[in-house]
Amino acid sequence: MKKFGTMIEFKEYIKKLNERLKKYIPASLLPSEEALYKPLNIFDVPKKEADEYKYKAIKYAFKHHYENNSFYRKFCKENDVRPDDIKSIDDFVKIPLIPDKFYKTYPAGKEFAMWLATIYTGELPNIVIRKNDSYDDIIKKFNDAGLVISYSSGTSGRHTFIPRDKRTFYNSEYGIAKSVVTMIYPFWEYDINGYLLMPNPFKTNVFAGKVCSVYFDVIKNVEVAIDREITADIIQAAMQDNLKGKIVRYAMQRENRKMINRIVKWLKEQHKQKNKIAMVGAPFILYFVMEELKKSGETFDFGENGAVATGGGWKIYEDKRMPVEEFRKMVEEVLGIPPEYCLDLYGMVEGNGWMVHCPEGHYLHVPTTYYHAMVIDENGEPVAYGEKGRFAFLDGLALSYPGFIISGDEVRMLEECPCCHRNTPVLEPEVKRAKGDEMRGCAEEMRRVLSMDMSR
Amino acid sequence: MFREWKDKEYIPPKTMVKLFTKGTFALSKVIIKNLNKLKKNRMEKVEYIPPKRKYKLPSYNPNMKYIKSDEKYLRPTLYCNPYAKEIIALANHLGAFEKEPYEYARDVFEFVKRNIILQILPLDGVVATLRRGYGTCLHKISLFIALCRVAGLKARYKLYALTMIQQWYETFVQPDPLMQEWYNAMGYFMLHGEGEVLIDGKWIVADVGPTPERQASAGIPITKFGEDSIGIWFQAIPGSIMRVESLPLGLGMASKILMEKIAPSSVKKINNSILKQYEKGKKILEEIGEEEYDKKVRKGYKMPKIELERKSIIFE
Ligand SMILES: [Zn+2]
Repeated sequence: MKKFGTMIEFKEYIKKLNERLKKYIPASLLPSEEALYKPLNIFDVPKKEADEYKYKAIKYAFKHHYENNSFYRKFCKENDVRPDDIKSIDDFVKIPLIPDKFYKTYPAGKEFAMWLATIYTGELPNIVIRKNDSYDDIIKKFNDAGLVISYSSGTSGRHTFIPRDKRTFYNSEYGIAKSVVTMIYPFWEYDINGYLLMPNPFKTNVFAGKVCSVYFDVIKNVEVAIDREITADIIQAAMQDNLKGKIVRYAMQRENRKMINRIVKWLKEQHKQKNKIAMVGAPFILYFVMEELKKSGETFDFGENGAVATGGGWKIYEDKRMPVEEFRKMVEEVLGIPPEYCLDLYGMVEGNGWMVHCPEGHYLHVPTTYYHAMVIDENGEPVAYGEKGRFAFLDGLALSYPGFIISGDEVRMLEECPCCHRNTPVLEPEVKRAKGDEMRGCAEEMRRVLSMDMSR
Repeated sequence: MFREWKDKEYIPPKTMVKLFTKGTFALSKVIIKNLNKLKKNRMEKVEYIPPKRKYKLPSYNPNMKYIKSDEKYLRPTLYCNPYAKEIIALANHLGAFEKEPYEYARDVFEFVKRNIILQILPLDGVVATLRRGYGTCLHKISLFIALCRVAGLKARYKLYALTMIQQWYETFVQPDPLMQEWYNAMGYFMLHGEGEVLIDGKWIVADVGPTPERQASAGIPITKFGEDSIGIWFQAIPGSIMRVESLPLGLGMASKILMEKIAPSSVKKINNSILKQYEKGKKILEEIGEEEYDKKVRKGYKMPKIELERKSIIFE
């Protein structure tokens, strides 16, 4: 990668970011927050130092949930584990993991509100629930009371609901911003133009969309691809193969045409004015934009004046997956943005750790200070580096719900990156769902909602 | 008569009517859209040999004890006649009136769960199921309930619409593209259930539907007496759980039309696929042993149990 002559020093770079993100940083830091906010380079903390941070962060979080969350405490007692049993990082394997499916096992009606209250760690503010409140109503009431309930939806039509408090949500937002800005060094600066290829974070409770609200604090001028309100009910309707679903999808398709045209127009303007741009969001939206440009034979040469950060999955059509590498090639061909500035993220609604591609090899680097990633075999035992298994993690940042989770995603973790020297383990560039689990991914779910299959 | 129907819960509960209306509507659409395909389906010849019964029927003698009652949850209901000779004989054979109620109910559970092979066919009575040795989960629950009631144990149905885990989807849906459309249309239509028996004032759940072989082939734990399959095997569609004394009127007819008239070849294909799964699971259990298998999968699958708390929520 060509570096600029006047390249900003990394320390200065992060300092500037922290200034922009001041409101996210708590006045006094808990151990897991120290592990997020203190390290200068979150992806390059020396192992010994990272382990110290991590031990304190995870131990604190485990004790916190054990003491303040009755269902998790019961679960620990069943597994015969107490906070005192965690004496070093080697003891982390004892911490009972919750299958990610657990966060889908919610009941209906007013019991849904109780379910949220039960999985929430600690006390809640007073919330008034009426008999006929829908899921969206209940979420809104919790959120009006200062919480951040967000969800991600599966193909079965069941959502994964996670109750965050403001503090946990802010930590998550700061985490995603710091992780991406760190990896894309020295690209980031505040005074540039951005396009969010997602629903408006302020009008959705889909986690992948909501967490992007930090983008508005990181970059000065941000446009949003999908500005209409997207509720849990709409998503559910759009995913159903019935008349209502068809109508919803048809309406969306018309909107989507307009959306693609708006983005194309924006790109043209930015290019003409030689502006620096950063596009963030669901890869399939950018894919359709680029297809549109290709149709009309247009290309741009943003070069190092452009960057793309994607996340959420690589399904383009119902039966078509796009290899990430191919996507990067397309971005280079059509937009002229080099692969070093086209990075993918891996994260999930249940966690606050963000794995980000390194520019050198596009391996997913795992944060090591507040987050402990593991790969688990079918018996629930950790596997060695390089072996396949399910992705699991202990998340120190999750303070409002126990973030000790075993996911359905199949991964392979390597002790170090084959392509760069950052001090973290890595996951292989592309993550697939474990067999036997329903597939999911934030982009996948948006893709369904938006039914981009129209062009076939 | 209507009153009796209502009392015995032959009239489908509101939730079920709602589910079925939605389901019927969606299904009719698939049918209309696929008239040609369906016609082909009816013409298509699919090789299908039903499984053989796994057990001998115990013989009946008129001196056998049984409890006849008109009390709710003890009396006969649709497709569930506890006083048939075959049922009385089997109940006595399984130790009714000799064993403790819990022990007896558990043995009935094990008998039905293990011996009646899952196959898709229209609803019919418990005697037919027992003679045949296979049936849907609704057939199996009815048999479980009849065997409990005849021994004086109150028993009922716990029914719900469900979202399936992937393996189940593969068995039922993938063998046939038409089924895939059905599946999409039927999201709310497919009922599944468990039995429940009242012992010492507590309703104990009996997940008699899946045989250990089916559960092994899907890689999930073998559910025991008193263990719910929701959360392990299925996710119930929120709000769809119904606890009823009887299967509702109309379900039998609907299932008959659906399976025999509309898409008989699809049903055969599904049944073949279930039998294949059964064989696969049998092999897995033979190789590592049932206990070892169960221990192994439970390790990776443990779900926290949750008792709902209200905290500071106020309900109006
Ligand atoms: Zn790397």
